[in-house]
Amino acid sequence: MRILIVEDDAALSSFIRKGLEAEHHAVDVANEGNHGRAMAMEIDYDLVVLDLNLPGLDGLSVLKSLRQRKANLPVMILTARSRVEDRVQCLDSGADDYLVKPFSFLELSARARALLRRSHLPSESVLTVRDLCLDRVERKVERAGRPIELTTKEFALLEYLMRNAGRRLTRAMIIEHVWNLTFDSTTNVVDVYINYLRRKVDDGFSPSLIHTVRGVGYQMCPEGASA
Amino acid sequence: MSTSPHSFPKVPRGPDVLGELLHSLSQPLTSLRCSLELSIDEAAERQQDSVAIALQQTEKVIGMIQLMREYLDAEQPGPGAFSTALAPAMRSVIESLSSIAAVRGVRLRLVGTCAATVPVPESRLRLALQYLIASMIEAQPVGGKVMLLLGEGPAGAVLRVEGERDSRELDFREPNFREMEQSATNPLTRSDPAGVTSASLSTLRRVRLAIASRVLETAGASLVFGGGGRTRVDPAGFVLRIPRQVGGPACEYQKS
Repeated sequence: MRILIVEDDAALSSFIRKGLEAEHHAVDVANEGNHGRAMAMEIDYDLVVLDLNLPGLDGLSVLKSLRQRKANLPVMILTARSRVEDRVQCLDSGADDYLVKPFSFLELSARARALLRRSHLPSESVLTVRDLCLDRVERKVERAGRPIELTTKEFALLEYLMRNAGRRLTRAMIIEHVWNLTFDSTTNVVDVYINYLRRKVDDGFSPSLIHTVRGVGYQMCPEGASA
Repeated sequence: MSTSPHSFPKVPRGPDVLGELLHSLSQPLTSLRCSLELSIDEAAERQQDSVAIALQQTEKVIGMIQLMREYLDAEQPGPGAFSTALAPAMRSVIESLSSIAAVRGVRLRLVGTCAATVPVPESRLRLALQYLIASMIEAQPVGGKVMLLLGEGPAGAVLRVEGERDSRELDFREPNFREMEQSATNPLTRSDPAGVTSASLSTLRRVRLAIASRVLETAGASLVFGGGGRTRVDPAGFVLRIPRQVGGPACEYQKS
């Protein structure tokens, strides 16, 4: 996929570029609003990652003018403004997603994938990682054909891991997406639920699919690499 | 030259200055966080622990920034008219917190309902309820119970939250910043495996309670902590009264 980053902070745009390129995307960077708008208009991008606070032309004006010409181009806003009304203003102006600084690259990457998937592929009702299958409609999980009983929260956690299979997920991302709570570094609820899941999904099966990523969080490994 | 205060130019003050600083701080912190996340895999085996610790510490600083933002947001009224149905927001928060309570060995039970909508944006209401109830869960002993009784009074919704008392009862007095300052300057004698000290845990709890109180106060709500919890007729906890929004639609955001 081809992605445009419009961000004036050179250090930040270089890290985002490096991370997205490592995920095999083609990435261009513009560090000024007018330049970003011109590139987005001329080149056929799959996603634009747009900072709001830009020199030249501000991000909101870039977004509004993009929406007049490219109504279906997915745009993710990066901003340091976190108030409800800022979010509403961006979404009302046509942004597809909104990420507040200081964000995690892993979060940006996950959201970029979701936007790219939404614009290119129909939503999958059955998720599969090796011999593990999760049916989102029937609310059923099987591994190697054997049914696995999960609680509602375990199901949601497994779905999030499987949807992001092969990607590292931080505890903050997990608690915010699965529990819909502000991350609290003092709770170990994520670790406890990962253990519950491991007992049901990995114990007695080979290879183990849920892996700890030291210092970061967890990852579902489709290749079943050793932890 | 006049020394009148009116001769000063208009400059940002108070919350605006803090907001600007947080805004400026978030930019380098984003670079730092992304850089550490991307380098953890590339670091040599013997350096990975150091990178992991640096990342964890960065995330803690970001958590503090998030709290500061929430506090500043709570200080400012939202634009337009907000109206949120209390009971569904309450059930959603309880659903999210029940597994956290279970992990701590605490039972969480919600009884009753109410039809009231309240004049608070849903996200802020959820945050306030999350902080209030999470603090209550945290304070309970293993095997303890938190009972939430939701109902309606003549002026609006009433939520009574009851639990058992434990050694951290101080947290359940009205938020008091003098006490908070004292706890922050106390020698730090204990820390959990994540490096969070007991004093900083206490400070975090108090800041969260302060945020919750401020959010609710701006909605005209009253929050009364009380009860010693030493007897069954005097449980520890709080009572929250939120005025009903007259004629407000049950949606999160309504443009003004």
